Order: sequence, then structure tokens, then C-alpha cells
Amino acid sequence: MEERQSNKAGGVGGVVLLFLVGFVGALVVGWWVFPQVLFSQKTQPIRFSHKVHAEQGLDCESCHTFAKTGQFLGLPSTASCAECHPDETGGTTDDEKEIDKFVTQYAKPGIEVPWLVYQYQPDNVFFSHAAHTGFECTTCHPDVANMDSPPPYHENRLSGYSKQTMKMWECERCHASMGTSNACYVCHK
Amino acid sequence: MGLDRRAFIGLVAGGAVGTLFTPIPWKLADDAAIWTQNWPWIPRVPRGEVTFATTASKLCPSGTGLKVALAGGKPIMAYGNPEHPLSQGGVSPIGASEVYMLYSPSRVRTPMRKTGGKFEPITWEQAQTELMAKCKAAGNKVACISGDVGGTAGEALSAFLAKVGSAAMYAMPGEAGPAAAGFKLMGGQGRVGFDIDNADCVLILGADIFEGSGVSVRNRKAFCASHPLGKEQSAKFAYAGPVRNHTGAVCDAWIPVASAHLGAFALGIAWHLLKAGATSDAADMADFKKLVESGYSPDKVSKLTGVDPEVLAGIAKNLAAAKAPLVIPGSEMGQGMGPGSFIAGMSLNLLMGRLNKPGGAVALPELPAVFPGAETPSEILARDIVGYLKNVGEDKTAAPEVLFVYAANPAYGLPEAAAMAKALEKVPFKVSFASFMDETAAMCDLILPNSLTLERYDDVATPYGSAFCSLTLVKPLIAPIFDTKTTADFILDTAKKMNLALGHDSLEKALKEKAAVLAKSDGFVAKDVMPWQVMAGKDKPAYDPAGLWKDLQAGLAWVKVGQVAQTGLSFAAKVLAALKPAQAELSLAGMAPQRAGTPATGLPAQCLTAIPDTDLKDGASIVRLNAATAKKYGLSQGSSLTLSGAGGACPAKAHISENVMTGVVAVPMGFGHTAFDAFSKGKGDNFLKIMTASVEDGTGVTVWAGSEVKIA
Repeated sequence: MEERQSNKAGGVGGVVLLFLVGFVGALVVGWWVFPQVLFSQKTQPIRFSHKVHAEQGLDCESCHTFAKTGQFLGLPSTASCAECHPDETGGTTDDEKEIDKFVTQYAKPGIEVPWLVYQYQPDNVFFSHAAHTGFECTTCHPDVANMDSPPPYHENRLSGYSKQTMKMWECERCHASMGTSNACYVCHK
Repeated sequence: MGLDRRAFIGLVAGGAVGTLFTPIPWKLADDAAIWTQNWPWIPRVPRGEVTFATTASKLCPSGTGLKVALAGGKPIMAYGNPEHPLSQGGVSPIGASEVYMLYSPSRVRTPMRKTGGKFEPITWEQAQTELMAKCKAAGNKVACISGDVGGTAGEALSAFLAKVGSAAMYAMPGEAGPAAAGFKLMGGQGRVGFDIDNADCVLILGADIFEGSGVSVRNRKAFCASHPLGKEQSAKFAYAGPVRNHTGAVCDAWIPVASAHLGAFALGIAWHLLKAGATSDAADMADFKKLVESGYSPDKVSKLTGVDPEVLAGIAKNLAAAKAPLVIPGSEMGQGMGPGSFIAGMSLNLLMGRLNKPGGAVALPELPAVFPGAETPSEILARDIVGYLKNVGEDKTAAPEVLFVYAANPAYGLPEAAAMAKALEKVPFKVSFASFMDETAAMCDLILPNSLTLERYDDVATPYGSAFCSLTLVKPLIAPIFDTKTTADFILDTAKKMNLALGHDSLEKALKEKAAVLAKSDGFVAKDVMPWQVMAGKDKPAYDPAGLWKDLQAGLAWVKVGQVAQTGLSFAAKVLAALKPAQAELSLAGMAPQRAGTPATGLPAQCLTAIPDTDLKDGASIVRLNAATAKKYGLSQGSSLTLSGAGGACPAKAHISENVMTGVVAVPMGFGHTAFDAFSKGKGDNFLKIMTASVEDGTGVTVWAGSEVKIA
């Protein structure tokens, strides 16, 4: 009885305090712990340095090309990388070792590198790069030209998509702002 | 301060409210919705550059040239090749299925040997060793049933049989067989084709030329060209047959005639043509005239066929008035016709002087063989496979010791299936080269899976019905997905190891030699000028013979419009005189749409959604009868019935349709598989098993088109 009265005495203030504790705790879990749990972190099979290649004077379209049909080919093939990196360097620097890893594991056996693509759209989305060539690549993609290592790839454990996959609302907002149709069939053929 | 109930509720409430201000509920709901779309069986869109390559369909008998789309080197879609004369951009459902069939669950993925009633995987080396031992022990008692005798691969098999001293090479039934046998009986030389493109009046006797008969894709294009939208048509088409099938439905007229009476119907037209003064310099013209005048007067033909004499006269009048009339004999289901019916139909072309003329029937030369000893396709096609197997089953003919089954499924695709299966069981060692686990493969002792069209070298040589000779290269667009081999390559290697070398190490080399031989002949590469245009008088285009192989690899077709001059061609009046049109109270008419595949492919999975519920409903076959026939047998829409014939019985449900003539029940073909996969099994029934294989008077060849059936 005495104890209950004590609680009653601490009553409203104690409840409010614990409410706040729960509230803040949930915010911490929701904004910090939850993303850690929801996304697994993966690294690219080859530590490709966009920075080194950009410094050689290459721009995005040098490797991320369009076919004659207008189809965006996305990632370069192993064969096209091997045009510049056909043989091992035999070097000892980290960069040279990484090049040698590419040559021995992928170029010489003729295996495509299983690159992790940050922004693959679902199969039910028809996204045409050709229709968006008026924009800078970095409008939608992370600016990797200054990165010596590819950013980590975060995979959603539940949906299987990359964390960077552009959501439909983002497409729609841009379309709306540009005065472009947001009709279903524009993207869902 | 302790944590009492109220405090706990406060903590939880705070947590709950706080959670609403985090991504947890919203992100989880969104991701869970996406997660539900991620089932492993959902097909994924292949990534990679979309490129196009050319080849030709081997699964489809129409010889369609294909343009295949590949994503990242993986085939994703097959289209018709716009530059190919037998396609012109058109494609059949079977041709379109070439990509999907690569991944069919019923594909045989590795060589297999039956041990204790079950198949076990073995290596190609083990299989070859066993096969060589069996062949050596069998001597010349080796036979082959092939679904592809026209191409170079069929030539290799024929040459192998010739090397071991056997002439037991048989082709699966189709329209090419009776045509070859019939033309031979007429004293004809070469293979018969039909120039639909240049004809202005076409009478089709049974043949479903826009669906399963001959070069159907080419035929459709020719029909479309003669029937331009919004303009006057340049050719009349009439279809005579027991059911208004896909061909009958688009023709300008449908004349209901039972399959067994198509020959008599043709001779009834001949009566009118003779009356109008038609004649021929054939040696037996007088006999033919006498036969027709005495036995096929309008009254007699009308009484037999039920065709109004005036309709008969009208058709004859149209043919006689046309500048380029053409008659195409055949069977509504693409098989089961007798050579006698073919001769009767061809007699009209002969009587009208329409042989080897633009818009007429043409006699085409055989393509040169590159395997010494191989028989010509016509020689093989003229043999009676059903008669042979029937005799084997009844012990009238000795069973071979070893049987090869190539691109064929005789345990399913022949009439009186039970009798055919019994005959096959008498063969001690059966080898199937099937790509799919079909009914015959399941009976065999050894399965040596053939790579599919997109995985192998092969060719398509002058498909039946084509008005010009042609050769199209089939080339591998991808490496074999499973542990399969090109059958011809395996046979060549086996022959070499048995000291029976056939002259080539690989089919690719044989095809190169064939191209080199053809380059020296009087053909050309069809690209800007098509062969039917040359037949109509246009100049043959010049081409570089040295570049033929390269052109073939580019998907172009080598073509030749030369025809075989006939000496001693006759009406085979004696054969016609012996024909006795069968009279049946109720007869079967098969409908064989290409969407139901072939006996060797089973039902292509992607075609299932295109099968109407007037063919198949709730797993049951739907058969079609007109109201008069249904009334006679007390049937109505949806009634259950059982059709019975010589080989057994088939349950079905009735669909009332006036597209079927009285006294005929039209049945869908291509169903009732007991092998293959879930897409083919347990769907309807195989009506071939109740078709009666009888002997045609005058020719002695087995026929089953229009066979009698009873309703129980």
C-alpha cells in the first residue's frame, strides 16, 4: 500500500518520463538500429577506382555506353575492360594488385564481373536512359568520379533491392516538375 | 521508482508513438509489399545488350526463317526473319517457341540408359560404346524413324543405315509422304510443290495450308498478298474439307466434303473439265477420261459426297476460267491421306496443264547429297511407316534389332497408337535422339539428347509444299545449355569409330560442302528478289557464289526455281480406278493447330493460354459436331460422349458448331500426352489412337484420314 502510494506520488511524472524514454528509444532504434538490421553491406568484387579512370580523361559515357539501337548497356563487359587491362601488371601496389585480380579472375577466364548495381530498377519498370540524356549522370547517380573505392552496396534484406534504388515517388516528382506525363504506361509497359 | 503497470504502459506507449516517427512501420510495409513480388519462379528480365541473330526453326515443319533476339548473348525471343522467303517476318507458334523450349522442363539433360525400368544418367562415351556394340551385333538389322528426312542431318542418318546395309529408313507421316508416293505412281520425277503466290484461283482439297500443312507461314503471306486490305483480291481461294478449319475460315468458299471423298470430289470436277474440252498428252489420258466419265458423273459424285452438282460445276467453271488455277491436295490434319487422293487432286493440275507453270504445281529437283549412299528424301518419304510397324506388330515383318528414333515420336504420333507401341516394344534395342522426354523416348533403352535448334548446326532444305528449292542454315546461337550433342555429329563420330566413315567429321563441315555444291548450281540468294517473282518472269538476281556460306550464315536462304521436266507422267488411271471411296456413318476429322505443337515437341508451354475452351476445357477434350449430327446422336452442347475406333476409345465433351459438316466429328489434335511435362500431360486425349489405319485400294498404302468412329 505504501509502495503503491509511492508510485502514485511519483505518478504522472514517472509515467511521462518513461513515455519519453520509450519515445526516444524508439527513435534511436528506428533511425539507427533498424537501418543496420534491414540492410546488409556488401563490397564490389573488384575495388574499381572511378577516380583513377576519370583522371585519365575518361568520362561516364566512355565505359557506360549506349548501343547503336539506343539501348543503354549499363556496365561495361569484361571484354571491354580487358581492352585496356589484358595482362597482369605484376605490381605490388594495391591498385596493381586489384588490376591483377581482375585479369586473373575475370578477364583471362572470360567471366563477367558480378558487379553490384546500385540502382537497378525492378523488372516491371521500363527506364530509358536515352530519354534522360539531357540530365547530368549525377542528377540520379552518386558522383563516383572522385571516389577511389566504390561506395558500399547496401542490400535490403527483405526486398532484395539496393538501398539506392530510386523509388517511384522520386520518378513521379521529377516527371511532375518537368511537366512530363506520369501516366502508368510511361514507365510500366 | 519501480516499474509498475502504469509505468510500463507509459514506456510502451512512448515506444509505440516514437516508432511512428521512424521509418520502421512505413519502410517495413513498403518492403514487405515488394518482398511478395520476389518469388523465385517469377521470370526475370535478362540484362545485357540486345542483339539479333538469324537461324531457322527446326521444330516447325514450315521451315520458317527466324530472327532471334538475344540479351547479353542469351536468346529471349524468336521472330520471323523479314529477309527469309519462307517467313517474310511471319512466324508460326512453334517457331516462336524455339527460345522457350530451350528451358522446357521436359528436356532430356544428359544421355540416359534404362536400367531396371528406370533411366540413369550415363556419359556420352558410355552411350557410344554401348550403341556401337549393339549396332555391330545387329548387322544390317538397324532401322530409323525420322521426323526430319529432308535436311543434311537426315542424310547423315540415311548414309549410316546404308553403310550398315539397311534400307529401313522411315519418315514420320505427313503430307510429303503420300505426295511422294503418289507422284511416283504417276511416273513423276522430283518433289511436288505448289506456287500459291502466282496462282489466281486456288482449290484446296483438305490441306490445312495456313496452319499445319506445308510451308504454312509462306502460304499465309501469299494469301495476304492476294487479299490486300481495302483493295480487290487478285486470287480466289476455295477450301473443300470436312471442317472449316483455319484455312477454310479465311478462304472465299468452304465446300463441306468428307476426307475419304476428296478424291472422288476431285474427279467430279475433272468430269466437268473434260466435258469442257480439257485434255492432256499423258499416255493414259483415254483411260482416265473413260474412268471419270463412267464413274464420277455429277450425280454420282453428288450422291457420294453430298456436294450439290451445281457447286461442283461452279468450281470447275472457276478453275477453267482462271489464268493460273492451282489444286492443292492434302489432309485436313496434315497426315493420313493416301497417295490415291493425292493423285486424284493432282490429276486436275495435269488436266489443266498446270504442272511446272507459274502459279501451278511444280516438280522440284532434290538437293545434291553430301553423304554418299544416302537416299533421297522422296525415296524415304514414299515408304509406309504405319504399314511397316503394323506388320512388325503382327509378326509379318521381322522387327529390327536396333531402332533409331530421330526428331520423331511414333509412340504418340501414329494412328492406332496401341498397335504402334506394341510394334515398338518388339524392337530389342531402341535409341531415342529426342530433345524432350516424349512418349517414345520413355520407351527407349537409350536416350541421346539432341541439342535444340538454337544450340546446333543444321539446315532446312526445301520443306514440303514449297514452290522452290531452298536451303537455310541453322547455326548455334548459344552453347548447349545441358549435356546434349548434335545427333548428326554423334552419328558421324560413331560411324568413324565403327570404321564406317561417312565422309565428314562434323555436320558443320558437311553443310559447308553442301553450300559449296549448291553455289555451283543454278540458284541464287533470296534477298531483294524472291523466288516466286523469278517464277513469274522477273530476272534472276546475280549473286556471288563464293560468298554463299557467308550469306547463309547471315540468315539468307539459297533458293532455286528450276523444275524437273517430266517424261512419262500419267494420271495413274489404274490406281484411280481401284480407289473405292469409303462410306462411313460418322467419320473423324482432325484439327491440328500449330499452337498444340507437334508430336515431337508436346504442347509448347507459352501456347497454353492460346488454346481455346472449344478445344480443351477442364482437362477434357472438346469435339465439334454440327447440330444435325448432334441431334442424330442425342447430343447437345457440353454433352459427355465417348468416341471409339479400332484402337480404343476417347472420352470428350461436345461442342456444337456449324463449321463441321454433317456426319463428321472434328477432334483437336496434339493433346493427350502421357509424357513430356506438366504443360503437356493430362490435357485431353490423343485421338490418333482411335483412328483406324486401313489400306488404300489401288496403292496399298496405309490411310487414316477420315476414319470411321462410333459414339458411345
